Amino acid sequence: MTTLQQAPPAAEPAAPVPDDAGRPTRRIFFLIVLAVASAILIYPFVWLVSASLKPRDRTFSDPFLPWPSPFQPENYISVWDAAPMLTWLVNTLIVGVVAALAVTLSSAFVAFGFAYFRFPGRGLLFASVLGTMMLPGAVTLVPTYLIWNSVGLTGTQVPLWAANLFGSAFYIFLLRQFLLGVPRYVFEAARVDGASYLDLFWRIALPLSRPALIIAFVFELKASWFDLMKPLIYLQDPALYTLPRGLKAVVDQFYQGGDPKWEIVLAASVITTLPLIAIFFLGQRYFLQGIATTGQRG
Amino acid sequence: MAAAAMLAGSLAACGGVGANKGPAEGSSGSGAASLTTMGFGLPDEIATVRVDAFKKAYPKVNVTINQGQFNEQAFLSAVASGNPPDVVYLGRDRIGGYAARGAIQPLDSCVSGQSIATGDFYPAAQKQVRFADKWYAMPEFYNSIVLLVNNKAARDAGVDPASIDTSDWDGLAQLAKKMTRIKDGKIERFGFYPKLPEFLPLWAKANGADLLSEDGRTVNLDDPKVGEALEYATGLLESQGGWKKLKAFTDTFDYFGEGNPFAKDQIGAMLTEQFVISAMAGVTPDADITVVPFKDRQGKPVNMVGGNAWVIPKGARNPDAACSWIKTMTAADTWVAAARARADKRAKEGKVNIGTYTGNAKADEVIFSEVVKPSGKKAYDDAVKTIRAVQEAGFVVPQSAAAAEFNTAWQDAGTNVLQGRQKAAQALAEADAKAQKAIDEAQP
Amino acid sequence: MKAALSRPETRWAYVFVLPWVVGLLLFQLGPMIASLVLSFTDYDLISPPRFTGLDNYATMAQDPKVIRAIGNTLFYTVLHVPLSIGLALGLALILNRITGRAAGVFRTIFYLPSMTPHVAVGVLFLFLLNGQVGMVNQFLALFGVQGPQWTSDPDWMLAGIVLMSLWNLGSTTIILFAALRNVPRELSEAAMIDGASTWQRFRSITLPMIGGALFFVVIVNTIASLQMFDQVYTMYFGNTQAQNSSGDAALFYVIYLFQQAFQYLHMGYASALAWVLFLVIAIITVIQVKVGNRLVYYEAEERSR
Repeated sequence: MTTLQQAPPAAEPAAPVPDDAGRPTRRIFFLIVLAVASAILIYPFVWLVSASLKPRDRTFSDPFLPWPSPFQPENYISVWDAAPMLTWLVNTLIVGVVAALAVTLSSAFVAFGFAYFRFPGRGLLFASVLGTMMLPGAVTLVPTYLIWNSVGLTGTQVPLWAANLFGSAFYIFLLRQFLLGVPRYVFEAARVDGASYLDLFWRIALPLSRPALIIAFVFELKASWFDLMKPLIYLQDPALYTLPRGLKAVVDQFYQGGDPKWEIVLAASVITTLPLIAIFFLGQRYFLQGIATTGQRG
Repeated sequence: MAAAAMLAGSLAACGGVGANKGPAEGSSGSGAASLTTMGFGLPDEIATVRVDAFKKAYPKVNVTINQGQFNEQAFLSAVASGNPPDVVYLGRDRIGGYAARGAIQPLDSCVSGQSIATGDFYPAAQKQVRFADKWYAMPEFYNSIVLLVNNKAARDAGVDPASIDTSDWDGLAQLAKKMTRIKDGKIERFGFYPKLPEFLPLWAKANGADLLSEDGRTVNLDDPKVGEALEYATGLLESQGGWKKLKAFTDTFDYFGEGNPFAKDQIGAMLTEQFVISAMAGVTPDADITVVPFKDRQGKPVNMVGGNAWVIPKGARNPDAACSWIKTMTAADTWVAAARARADKRAKEGKVNIGTYTGNAKADEVIFSEVVKPSGKKAYDDAVKTIRAVQEAGFVVPQSAAAAEFNTAWQDAGTNVLQGRQKAAQALAEADAKAQKAIDEAQP
Repeated sequence: MKAALSRPETRWAYVFVLPWVVGLLLFQLGPMIASLVLSFTDYDLISPPRFTGLDNYATMAQDPKVIRAIGNTLFYTVLHVPLSIGLALGLALILNRITGRAAGVFRTIFYLPSMTPHVAVGVLFLFLLNGQVGMVNQFLALFGVQGPQWTSDPDWMLAGIVLMSLWNLGSTTIILFAALRNVPRELSEAAMIDGASTWQRFRSITLPMIGGALFFVVIVNTIASLQMFDQVYTMYFGNTQAQNSSGDAALFYVIYLFQQAFQYLHMGYASALAWVLFLVIAIITVIQVKVGNRLVYYEAEERSR
């Protein structure tokens, strides 16, 4: 976990001399293997984008041709008519940002509590953080629904993010580890200068843990963008749908529903995926670093 | 229109996060009322003309149409949350279950209060929207099942398409094989598509069996005649390459487009609701097809009818407006206006119109005597005659208190047999027990 | 203790951890207990709950769909976990052997599929796996292999789902790659000088050193597999037509739970299903941790010898 503190580009080559340095044939062999693996992994994207730009009756034709032929970009116009993709995109962004902000700030708040203070019950409470990390979400599905139903919030987007206001075990753990690496005298010096505990959190802990905050933020944004089950359960009005929920409705209608319009389904899939890929490239190092970090808990 | 819907959507979205829909905005008493629909879309003039008719008749009602297909889970969640839409558009085959568990309201007072002419509806449609001696829905379309034949495939098999007779099961099996074309393990043309498991009740009826007793209380899935029909249809598929391949093949069909399986010669003959033919008339007016009735083993036409219906969920804020909506949408005048709009549109595009098949018999009389004119395309003009002729042979599966569970039970059984995982007799016996238990437990 | 509690610092500490405590009670412990209580009732949201004792659990034991769903879920888990981790480990090992920018570029490429929302993955593979015209079978046909009906043959649908899941091994690869980077080079070099073969070095140095990470990905992947929902629900459920024609060949446990809860509103039965899932996951996790610890000790012993 300590690698986090300097926030280096995750796992960049640390060792200068790998043992295959002197064997170029081996290196070439490895590169070929990796290139083939990459081609296999990239291909479905190529097919998706290409098929989304073709007329319907050519969807399955020429699967190994990377460019669409014949080219029919109008699919991306008809998809807006068939489904309110823009509304769904806006919804997804709003819900995602709210959910990610909520969980990042609340987790940092709690993490500061665990990292800075010593207090009776700390061990037990922190054990509860670790313990719930593996709790299967399906177990609390029904009662959680009943809670939101009893306060009349089913049918709204609130249940998609409100539970995030109370922190999330994994991010609390991550941020606590990060904060433990901050030398204590940094905080003590501020205390001597008369800073309150809230100041410590807001002025020192938060700015110092920026890399970890960004990791929490981008991960939650992704999780929210992926979420299908909560929107399925809580949203009935298509105007409130997020992209995955909307895409599911599009599939149900235009793939399975006896009215096949694959070009619509494919274009909608691209629209659902592309913004996230863009976000990934913007925050790439945080994603990769966050993922790499998760494994080091074991 | 799309832009307006989108704008409305974005506005809703802005209030979306954190915004709870307040309690009953407006009610029938205070002049301006609001009405929210679910499961209904505005894909064509048949829908928009009727919605416009309602808006004209009830200018004060503020209509919100939540477009999208009916989804059982979303519907039940909405009812359970006490925040349901006012009126819902769904398949008639599952109304009994919702009625029995109290998720939808009886419409008897709506029918009498707004004097809805229920006698105008086809008898089979009437039967399908009643449960426990009460009205629970009003019917929309009246879909009939006919046999749609690809003439080229029939000719290739050396058969006159018009002479294809489904009462001769052995002959049908041979024909199916002859019309099939498989190359390198890939289906190029599927000979005869019996549309299972969806049409199992039709196949059972053709073999002289009903899946459910008239009163909707006794399940007859274990009737050997049902098993025989399922076995026969499964064998039919096996001889043409098997259901697994057919499924993957039909998943790639575009029934409503120019590249429909008949235009692409991908299918020999299939059982289908008439709306597929109606859509084909709009895109491939010169299709080389023949429509013949589906006949039972005695040689009489048999036709399983169905369609959607309007219901009012429990807890609807504005049942009066919902009732007005239902009345307008299903009334004879409204239907005729919609059918006219469809006819005009198709005429302008130079496409064929085979008419609009409504649940309202009175409307259909006008539509097929005044609105639908012979197009000069013999295939489609004959199709109209055939469809109209089989309408009176229409039957429905009776409503039951556990309609959804009952449907799931026989469909699952059908799928298991088609997938080759179970024998028909065993699958149907298990389904019978399961469905019977569900129905017994669900009796109100 | 008392003195500690009355210190302002302690009070502030509780202020900071309060959100967690509230969330824990409201969204974790509370629902867990509520779920247990509900599992002894028959509740459809529309009429009030009715106490039915152990009925739900008895029904579960005889429900062929539950048995089928458990079978499917375990089958998938048993295939997915070793395959995906094996492949990811292979890729990570190779990544670890090359230098420079290339490693970074490949790492990014491997991770890209993980950025594709599950619903889109489901849609995409519905197209790719189609037995008649899908790309996968067209590819197999290039080698003269006639591929199975991945989306319609009940014997192959789970295999198709496993294939889809293997597209998504970026996260696991990156975790293992990061762990490999932390293996001190000197160890391996020392062993090489001692004449250890590549396999011996992997077996006795690399594997124990990345044991923790390996272990973590096994547990995380297992738990995720047991809760598989999004992709499969997108492909085969949620639409009456799709659901009817695929039967229960792709019925996963959480999908059945979801259907029972929100499609049939059998909240009590769904709660019983949820609790059984919780117990199963808890037991599997404990076993894995136990076995894992033993392996780690064993490795440690072996190394100290």
